[in-house]
Amino acid sequence: MGIDFDLLHKVKGLIECPEPDKDIRRFDANLRLFPPFLDNDVCPITIKNTLLQSCYLRNTEWACGVAVYTGNETKLGMTRGVPEPKLTAVDAMIDKLTGAIFVFQLVVVMVLGVAGNIWKDTEARKLWYVEYPTKGPWYELLVIPLRFELLCSIMIPISIKVSLDLVKGLYAKFIDWDNKMVDQETSTPAHAANTAISEDLGQVEYILTDKTGTLTENQMIFKRCCISGTFYGNEIGDALKDEDLVNAVATRSPDVIHFLTVMAICNTVVPIQRQNGTILYKAQSQDEEALVHAAAGLHMVFVKKNGNVLDINFNASVIQYEVLDTLEFTSDRKRMSVVVKDCQSGKLFLLSKGADEAILPCASTGQQTRTFSEAVEQYSQLGLRTLCLAWRELEEDEYQEWSLMFKEANSALVDRDWRIAEVCQRLEHHLQILGVAAIEDRLQDGVPETIETLRKAGINFWMLTGDKQNTAIQIALSCNFVSPEPKGQLLLINGKTGDEVRQSLERVLLTMRITSSEPKDVAFVIDGWALEIALKHHHKAFMELALLSKTAICCRVTPSQKAQLVELLKSCEYRTLAIGDGGNDVRMIQQAHIGVGISGREGLQAARAADYSIGKFRFLKRLILVHGRYSYNRTAFLSQYSFYKSLLICFIQIFFSLISGVSGTSLFNSVSLMAYNVFYTSVPVLVNVLDKDLSERTVMQHPQILFYCQAGRLLNPSTFAGWFGRSLFHAIVVFVICIHSYAFEKSEMEELSMVVLSGCIWLQAFVVALETNSFTILQHLAIWGNLVAFYVINWIVSALPSSGMYTIMFRLCRQPSYWITMFLIVVAGMGPVLALKYFRYTYRPSKINILRQAERLGGPILSLGNIEPQSRAFEKEVSPLSISQPKSRSPVYEPLLSDSPNAIRRSFGPGAPFDFFQSQSRLSSSYARNCKDN
Amino acid sequence: MNSNNTPSSSAGGPGSAAADSTAPPTTRNSKRPKYSRFTQQELPACKPILTPKWVISAFMLVTVIFIPIGVASLFASHDVVEIIDRYETDCIPEDSRKDKIAYIQSSGDKTCNRILNVTKHMKHPIYVYYQLDNYYQNHRRYVKSRSDQQLRDRDSENDTSACKPEDKTANGSTIVPCGLIAWSLFNDSYSFSRNNQNLSVNKHGISWKSDRDHKFGKDVFPKNFQSGGLIGGKHLNESIPLSEQEDLIVWMRTAALPTFRKLYGKIEVDLVAGDVINVTLQNNYNTYSFNGKKKLVLSTTSWLGGKNDFLGIAYLTVGGLCFFLAMVFTIIYLVKPRRLGDPSYLSWNRNPGGH
Repeated sequence: MGIDFDLLHKVKGLIECPEPDKDIRRFDANLRLFPPFLDNDVCPITIKNTLLQSCYLRNTEWACGVAVYTGNETKLGMTRGVPEPKLTAVDAMIDKLTGAIFVFQLVVVMVLGVAGNIWKDTEARKLWYVEYPTKGPWYELLVIPLRFELLCSIMIPISIKVSLDLVKGLYAKFIDWDNKMVDQETSTPAHAANTAISEDLGQVEYILTDKTGTLTENQMIFKRCCISGTFYGNEIGDALKDEDLVNAVATRSPDVIHFLTVMAICNTVVPIQRQNGTILYKAQSQDEEALVHAAAGLHMVFVKKNGNVLDINFNASVIQYEVLDTLEFTSDRKRMSVVVKDCQSGKLFLLSKGADEAILPCASTGQQTRTFSEAVEQYSQLGLRTLCLAWRELEEDEYQEWSLMFKEANSALVDRDWRIAEVCQRLEHHLQILGVAAIEDRLQDGVPETIETLRKAGINFWMLTGDKQNTAIQIALSCNFVSPEPKGQLLLINGKTGDEVRQSLERVLLTMRITSSEPKDVAFVIDGWALEIALKHHHKAFMELALLSKTAICCRVTPSQKAQLVELLKSCEYRTLAIGDGGNDVRMIQQAHIGVGISGREGLQAARAADYSIGKFRFLKRLILVHGRYSYNRTAFLSQYSFYKSLLICFIQIFFSLISGVSGTSLFNSVSLMAYNVFYTSVPVLVNVLDKDLSERTVMQHPQILFYCQAGRLLNPSTFAGWFGRSLFHAIVVFVICIHSYAFEKSEMEELSMVVLSGCIWLQAFVVALETNSFTILQHLAIWGNLVAFYVINWIVSALPSSGMYTIMFRLCRQPSYWITMFLIVVAGMGPVLALKYFRYTYRPSKINILRQAERLGGPILSLGNIEPQSRAFEKEVSPLSISQPKSRSPVYEPLLSDSPNAIRRSFGPGAPFDFFQSQSRLSSSYARNCKDN
Repeated sequence: MNSNNTPSSSAGGPGSAAADSTAPPTTRNSKRPKYSRFTQQELPACKPILTPKWVISAFMLVTVIFIPIGVASLFASHDVVEIIDRYETDCIPEDSRKDKIAYIQSSGDKTCNRILNVTKHMKHPIYVYYQLDNYYQNHRRYVKSRSDQQLRDRDSENDTSACKPEDKTANGSTIVPCGLIAWSLFNDSYSFSRNNQNLSVNKHGISWKSDRDHKFGKDVFPKNFQSGGLIGGKHLNESIPLSEQEDLIVWMRTAALPTFRKLYGKIEVDLVAGDVINVTLQNNYNTYSFNGKKKLVLSTTSWLGGKNDFLGIAYLTVGGLCFFLAMVFTIIYLVKPRRLGDPSYLSWNRNPGGH
């Protein structure tokens, strides 16, 4: 920079900046430095001079800057929506049931309250020994209802919240602990940041997934190329190993050499020499990195960048190029170029690379470009990203002339971008097309299998990507997103104007409606622009489409559109899971019911915002099918059981009040009541978090079983009614048996109370035992140990003379009739339940039951209906899809440094060096210019 | 239920863990979760399933256990000899029956003679109970109206907050024992004679020993009891400590049901079949205002307690039902066998692709 190092801290100036906003693509500010450094002159500052929050700086020793916005006023802080607290479907259901129970409780209180008052006035006044005052104040009427309210208050189990919090914490821990979800490459374990929503994992209906970095490795590898009409790498799938290409390099075929030169130096990559002699390439774009690596693999090694001089090591000879100008990439231009001077010969070259539609039209007249467009077509069919490489030799005076214009355009204050583009255009013509490079973004391991399994489990996938349509479709095909023809069908929605989009949307809807009855795999494809229009103007139609379609591919969508789509699905009452890996997925992740972040090479931003972070996409299968499913099942049992036990004791209190003059006497003493919820009944059910109805293997083999969780089959009003009925039945059993066997001379209050209570404890132990699917030693300990603990606790309390139940438990345990009564209660209470369960289990089995039986008996089921591993190779030729519109012939090309959402995400990640440092030099040079001008 | 406790397939945990531990490269991160069977949810578990064999056997087992217990309980209950005499109406002279309440509240002699016929040999000890019907000792106002502190401890005499409205006399002195329960102490009394020979009733040891020792103080004496305008029940001898007022102690053990028996005393001699017992009773207690019944019960006892057929009948019924269920399940099983875990029942196997 133009300022001395030791003077740097004395710089004084002023930055005029706009109010904080959330547009991360714009920043229009001015910088004024005070004398003596600069005159009071305005330097424009744009987004290119800006470093966004939580960016990592790379490839520099130092940097100086000024903090413009801080905290929540940063661009990122403004974008960060306030994440709503997430409530799981199970929690919502529990709340609903709690509400229902509350209403029930009110009704009971009202009925009993009225009955109590009537009984009081008709009967109790005759009971002289109760001494009811003949005339009381009016509020006496409220005493009995309030008594019943007090009695019935245990009907809503308070312990359920505590128990649920405990087990949810444990679910989350199980995810953290899971060895099978540790990414072996990076040793990243899965992590559950949100401990409260594990059940929702088992109820996911829609998964919205990002593409790059989530489904794919985001690790670009140069795979194929076509150099002046010759295809390399087609047979073995790797151009670097293609003998022909290696030979061509060895024989110094000029086309190939030029091709490699463009690959090696037409970029903004910075090579860093490491201690051990290897070279580390730091690139903003993964594509550029891939190209440079590939060039190095073909002996065109980009060794050093010394200011503007690049050292290329080709077959042990060093070639030096001086970079004169960089014509940067913009998403409008879709290409980038560099002007270099060969230091030996002094010749000037323009080297370009870019999307085919941006490069091929600039071809020199007379050059046949058909081969190249065919190559592009072929590669994009395979899901490869393509880049066209071209070059041109420049005349010295042509360049000088242009260079002046370029400098002028660069210092323009008005419409700078447009003017630069226009100037660049003047140089990028008559290019000689060298060839097409195809880069593969490899799918992560196990992605197709994971998606296949989850789709079998009834989960619908939407892919939301910033990529182009063709790439997205190809990736979708290779990931089993859509079945290939003839089962699958892709419906395209596009259009630039509202009308076009509407027509297209209506057409797709019509097709959807027709095919919805057929077992056909229909997916719609929409791009960001059409989506914007559809969401804004045809919200209803699009909603219907969302309801109908199981699969969707949305390309070129922005982060906020991703979030909008999540919102849309949420408004259709679907459980959504959003999975992504980068900063552009954060909104979607926060918006969805469940956000899953992949802690990959894009950094941890998504993983930090997410509820769950996993190392690889394939762990999603285990997260949902194993952890989600078990969590749902366990919570379903735990919550209903909590209601059951509270209702049981409450029903008994109600029954007792019927024989105690509807006066609201509590049968149980307060110690027992408190201990019942806290100690006696909560431990066995807590250990139920270890329960597994089906083994993990069976679930993986039959992912369809997840349907039970998705549809909420294990926790809904009707299953709850079953538990309600069971508690009523058990209350009747316990109460009737106890008051009959402890009648007459035995009907002592404290004794009867303990008999009834122990009846309840026995029953609940057996209920838990009957509902437990797999007994581990801990479950046995908890269930039977709890029963023993009940007696021990009561013996201890019975040994205290001051307690109301002094000696009671000892007396009871000595009576044969007590044990006979307990035995009777257990059998009478559990017999019908067992019989019913057995009958259903055997003659009306649910899928879960069948699988359990099969698993236990080792039947042939384990081999039946297996999911054959889908080893669909990426290279495999995918059968063409029927697309209801003529396929657009646009190539698959991801912008290298675009302002597309994808690139924005990049700039957040740690692997992404920031623009600032190239712009730095430009900034300083523009300062210098400004100084000169003044 | 299946008691076949072979560990399930998940017991293969350690093996897979060993395989896991060899896989990762040397860069083992400390973040990596530690392996344990608990954390991996791989504790060896037994997964019982409801096979017909086990369910039918379970029901048969219950039958086999329940029928004998039921029979034994019934026999025990039938061995108990019980003489019940309901006297609350008969002990009111014919002319007073129109207004029983007036009769019972009037002062004067309310002696009543009853004759009990012993039909079966009764071995001593014979328990003498009084049974009250439709008497709500479990009423909320009633059951709380006592002060355990006061009963136990002389110094807590004034601890009568729970006893309202029978906590203090009109002039403000504390009642001991306070509360509705004590105040309404049953005051009918019985004396028995056989062949004009007095049958002594042992009234010692009719209450729980623990109550006498720990709940009712030896140095707590009745005070101001039944001295108010309204007399509830029996008067207490103020020179006898509460721990020896066994009628009170028995009465203070409130009954949980509106029909209950309380021990009055024990007859320590055998009664022979054909014996005629004359009972002279003082019919003092007012159950007429609420149509309550009063019964005098003489009963022997068995290992199961008094005469109560409920347990025996319930055991036989439940045992019978279990037998019935076992039979039904067996028949269904034989007539319509159904293979457990048949994959053809899985709908997605039948119709692939559909859910």
